[in-house]
Amino acid sequence: MSNVTSDTCALPPAAPNPVLLVLTALAAGAIVGLPLVSVQPNRIMPGEGLTLWALGGPMALTGALMVLAGLTWLAWRPTRRALSAALTLVGLCLALLPWALVVVAAAQIEPGMSSARIGLGAGLWALLFLLLLMLLELINRLALSPLLRWGLLLGLGLSLLLALTGGGLDGLALMREYHGRRAAFHAALRYHLLLVSAVVGISLLLAAGLALAMRRWSGLRRGTFSVLSVLQTIPSLALFGLLLAPLAYLAVRFTWLGDLGVRGIGWAPALIALVAYSLLPMTRNAFVALDEVAADVTDAARGMGMSPAQVFWQVRLPLALPVMLEGIRITAVQAIGLAAVAALIGAGGLGTFIFQGLGQAAMDLVLLGALPIILIALLVDGLFSALAEQLRRAQGRGETAHA
Amino acid sequence: MPDQSGAAPALIELDAVTKRFGDATAVDAISLAIPRGELCVLVGTSGCGKSTTLRMINRLIEHSSGQIRIDGQQIRDVDEQRLRRRIGYAIQSTGLFPHWTVARNIGLVPRLLRWPAARIAARVSELLALLGLDEDEFAGKYPHQLSGGQAQRVGVARALAADPEILLMDEPFGALDPITRESLQDELLRLQARLHKTIVFVTHDMDEALKLADRLVVMDTGRIVQQGSAAALLQAPANAFVESLLGGRDRGLKHAALTRVAERMRPLTDAQAGGPAVDTLGVSADDSLRQALSLMLWHGVDSLLVSDTQGQVVGSLSLQDAVVERNTRA
Repeated sequence: MSNVTSDTCALPPAAPNPVLLVLTALAAGAIVGLPLVSVQPNRIMPGEGLTLWALGGPMALTGALMVLAGLTWLAWRPTRRALSAALTLVGLCLALLPWALVVVAAAQIEPGMSSARIGLGAGLWALLFLLLLMLLELINRLALSPLLRWGLLLGLGLSLLLALTGGGLDGLALMREYHGRRAAFHAALRYHLLLVSAVVGISLLLAAGLALAMRRWSGLRRGTFSVLSVLQTIPSLALFGLLLAPLAYLAVRFTWLGDLGVRGIGWAPALIALVAYSLLPMTRNAFVALDEVAADVTDAARGMGMSPAQVFWQVRLPLALPVMLEGIRITAVQAIGLAAVAALIGAGGLGTFIFQGLGQAAMDLVLLGALPIILIALLVDGLFSALAEQLRRAQGRGETAHA
Repeated sequence: MPDQSGAAPALIELDAVTKRFGDATAVDAISLAIPRGELCVLVGTSGCGKSTTLRMINRLIEHSSGQIRIDGQQIRDVDEQRLRRRIGYAIQSTGLFPHWTVARNIGLVPRLLRWPAARIAARVSELLALLGLDEDEFAGKYPHQLSGGQAQRVGVARALAADPEILLMDEPFGALDPITRESLQDELLRLQARLHKTIVFVTHDMDEALKLADRLVVMDTGRIVQQGSAAALLQAPANAFVESLLGGRDRGLKHAALTRVAERMRPLTDAQAGGPAVDTLGVSADDSLRQALSLMLWHGVDSLLVSDTQGQVVGSLSLQDAVVERNTRA
């Protein structure tokens, strides 16, 4: 990290930025050689891949390559102004990408063809990926403030959302799948989020209890971490299987549990398994965070006459919070992904579409489940990172400046 | 419990105090009486029990047996938090809260004592000024933005915040560079001349101990080996351990460092006195004998002129005067 920043300062502005050059070259290759979209007459028939040349002729291809040439030129002499211009250009490309699809959809799908659909091709995915990498590189090079970073992402998200809700993208295979099961999608999304929130909430409470107990009775440490580590190594499907019989028995034995919805399959084993997986990162971070608060600080706090409760709430916990937030972030992202697998045991959630799609060999249905999961994970990750950074800043420990 | 003996009653009394950690005895039946307003320095090698002794006084460590009394009252009978809020506490690593500003750190104990906000703010300003820290510059800073010396000043200010009668200082200047350490030692002496706190100060640095102490308490393996004024210890070390701690063959220079030139110089006769300082080698009457000897050695002379703070020549100091104390004045 420090190398990167010192590079930008130390090197003369004329040194070309190799990362951007490579990425632009690859993007050019993707535009020229790979199909951007495929047009399918219906869900079953295989689609026909179309390159940019096939879609827009020489005009569109030249235009796109000229934009990339412009980026290359800017990357060749990456002064701060050039990089800012490149960031604007890349941002515009990303924001306009959904709208380009709107145009393509309008051109390729004639009004009456309600089952025809447009699939996203390898070239488009590659282009999207490369543009996002460029965006990341530029954000890092320019050391954008968190506010600008979030503003940028918000703008891109808004552009995508407008394109999606405007109806122009309804011809996309993904949107066709969405419109086919709109109610189910929203229910699954809500359910997924509810499950993840419950997992994070419950494991946070349990982890806090465990961490406090381990701090009080140091003998618990070894055993607790061993058990949690072993839990972590059990494959998720195996864990669901292991929970099936005991939960089914409990539901039969205690009818009130059955009334609550506890079964061998469904939300109960999913919740238990996800909490079990979450406990290790959550507990480890909570424990390390609380334990690593400098001994001299707590010694001084006690020596000044703070009560044990005051030492905990005013000194130990605030100082541990950024590291604890890190644990919550890891746990939440992990749970968002794992909850998809829980669909296999009837727990519902976005994973349902993934497994349905796999069963029907309908990749766009898989995407309908997978894309929101990825987006939510990225969003949660960014949110908690920003929160931890904000907290460190508020505590005056954001930067290691010295007077 | 008023003292009947007639002497000034000690503020802090340790009576056969022992601390055992399991089988190991860290502090072995020590007795010590520290009068009000005294700066008492506990000195010894590491592991001698000096820090343990200090930390027993504010009950950060509970003593195993014996009695510790403050103002005649056993500390075991006082609620430990209330006891500690009455005793200032400063440690080597400062222990400042990294997530609090300087001002909030200093105001900690007053806040624990539920002072009104305005009184706390006024007290914080007062302490920043007392310790030579500019309020506008430092009040809003965080500890990691301070130099070692500034952080330790803040640590001392925090210890003094609620105006405690007693100050416990555990190697407060141990981690500082020699120049900063010396200036903070001078500062402490200046503060003490003004505030007259009862200070228990732990250090392993004998020069620091000799410089600061009203009373030196030398500890070894949990016991008090010798106690008394710096001069008394230098004059008659109780055993070889104290002697080696006092610097062995450097002892003469350490003693000279405690003696002011004014005590040894030969005052000028009225006829000579009052003239302006001549442009030759000279020392100030407030300089130590050690500095005077060093000047003589360096310049190869055997006498120096002594001037007062206004630069007026007030006497002379010969090598003979410096080395041999005159019992009878001419």
